[in-house]
Amino acid sequence: MNTETIISIENLTKQFPEGDGFFTALKDINLTFKKGEFTGVVGPSGSGKTTLLNIIGSLDKPTSGKVNVLGLDIGNLSHKESANLRNKHIGFIFQVYNLLPVYTVFENVEFALLLQSYTKSERKKMVMESLEWVGLGDQASKRVTKLSGGEGQRVAIARAMVKRPQIVIADEPTANLDAANAHAILKTMKKLNQELNTTFLFSTHDEKVMTYLDRIIHLRDGKLESEEFISHENDKV
Amino acid sequence: MKLAFQLAYKNLIGAGLKTWLNVAILAFTFLLIIFYNGFIDGWNRQALVEAEKWEYGEGQLLNENYDPRDPFTIKDGYGKLPSEEAQHMTPILLRQGSIYPDGRMFPIMIKGIEINQDVLAFPADKLVNSDESIPILIGKRLAKSTNLEVGDQVLMRWRDKNGTFDAANVTVVEVFKSDVASIDAGQIYMSLDKLYEITGLQDVATMYIGGEGYVSHDVEGWVAKDKEELSSGLTAIINTKKASGSILYILLLAIALLAIFDTQVLSIFRRQKEIGTYISLGMTRIQVVKLFTVEGGMYSLLAAIVAIIVGVPLFWYVSKVGISMPSASQSTGVTIADVIHPYFSLSLIVTTLILVIASATIVSYMPSRKIAKMDPVNALKGKIQ
Repeated sequence: MNTETIISIENLTKQFPEGDGFFTALKDINLTFKKGEFTGVVGPSGSGKTTLLNIIGSLDKPTSGKVNVLGLDIGNLSHKESANLRNKHIGFIFQVYNLLPVYTVFENVEFALLLQSYTKSERKKMVMESLEWVGLGDQASKRVTKLSGGEGQRVAIARAMVKRPQIVIADEPTANLDAANAHAILKTMKKLNQELNTTFLFSTHDEKVMTYLDRIIHLRDGKLESEEFISHENDKV
Repeated sequence: MKLAFQLAYKNLIGAGLKTWLNVAILAFTFLLIIFYNGFIDGWNRQALVEAEKWEYGEGQLLNENYDPRDPFTIKDGYGKLPSEEAQHMTPILLRQGSIYPDGRMFPIMIKGIEINQDVLAFPADKLVNSDESIPILIGKRLAKSTNLEVGDQVLMRWRDKNGTFDAANVTVVEVFKSDVASIDAGQIYMSLDKLYEITGLQDVATMYIGGEGYVSHDVEGWVAKDKEELSSGLTAIINTKKASGSILYILLLAIALLAIFDTQVLSIFRRQKEIGTYISLGMTRIQVVKLFTVEGGMYSLLAAIVAIIVGVPLFWYVSKVGISMPSASQSTGVTIADVIHPYFSLSLIVTTLILVIASATIVSYMPSRKIAKMDPVNALKGKIQ
């Protein structure tokens, strides 16, 4: 595994206005993530998992502290710079897939590339390659509304991976899936992590996910409770 | 921008019936605005052509003592125009009088016209070929209000140049049909020479009407009125009609725009997750605002396409066949043809297109601005903001 640090978090605190005061979602978090990690942030509801990933994904900004992603200080990015970071380097996978319902499978995956300057033939090649990764190469022209939950999430993975991002952020990706589909999805992501050396960051409290993770970060009440590194030396997906 | 159009098109087509309902009402608005304005423009054009043919000519010279709005000036409002100035013009002499159809007194204006003039459209040849002692022409409106027909005789009373009353029977030799009410109701036409003969006047006229080749210019003792000035009253009436009628299509346009506005508000409310997804995929908020604005604006583009498909054959047919006007409209005093042929000019169509597309884009932009202030995290959660 490459040991290059691509995310560093120093003294991160995030507060949200609540009534006359503030609710502290994250408090004094210090973390680093290296390239190619397959890491899960776990903890009960309200522990700050999603908030942490949203800040790393530049969808949100820290209240204090410093979050550096791929050399960029998230707290100081403009809207345009944040959008550019997400567009080129970060892929998102959501719990409810967040696919665009009026588009086909192909168009959903292609969407991320439309915002970049790829030619039509380049886009087609990349989309089909991405769909092959997740085993949906033969469903490209299907409407996403016709897909099953597992297929929908695989389209979401293909969409996240199509631009070859350095980081993929997955917020509870298996929460809406049955066990079989959850394992299939996780195997797909693990495979992509190993083959493309993409960093995967999960927020989860699904036990199934934990078995695939290399590193687990435990959050409780917005604080870093513990972290553990798991060796999968002999594992092969 | 190309991307915004591509995505907006897909989103609209994907939205199905909701899109087509908005498009249908906008297309109907398009058609109504173009039809109404085309109808008024057609009426205006026909009315001006008719007024030119029957009343204005290429311009007029009015004796300086004659004021068309003051009947007391008719008596002395005449004069003789130097012959070099009277080229390309035909004289008309006005006198007041009364006729007595069925024993009822009916005040009239007696107009003397040259029997060989070709400036105005009156069938003056009927006066030439008549054997009657005093042949007259009347319009269909006067004929209707007096129950006079061709061949009828009626007693006419008038004053000669000294103010002495005189009377004689006149014979209707023709009832002409003109759309210009102002030259018809309460007016009879006779040979200018005959009018000179019965009034004792000679070689004078109240006004001169310019024919082909006449260029409006001032002459001492006479007031020149060009075509624009003469038609300004008619144009003002038509424009007033246009303005009052426009309330209808402004209302319809407002309903159509409200539908788009509502759709946009509802879209932004219901599609928060989608907006969050766009942002997470790397669109800037401004790009998302643009996408939603283009989506709203595209309703009008689709509506324009539908309106063209429906409107081109429909309007072509209507402008060819024309629209019959009810007979009651002929007695309003305003120049209205029996059949109005709407005139759909390119400028009318382009102006309407720009008006509707610009309005739809503006009402789409207004709610879309909210997106710029949205928190993408809450949007992804679908939280109402």
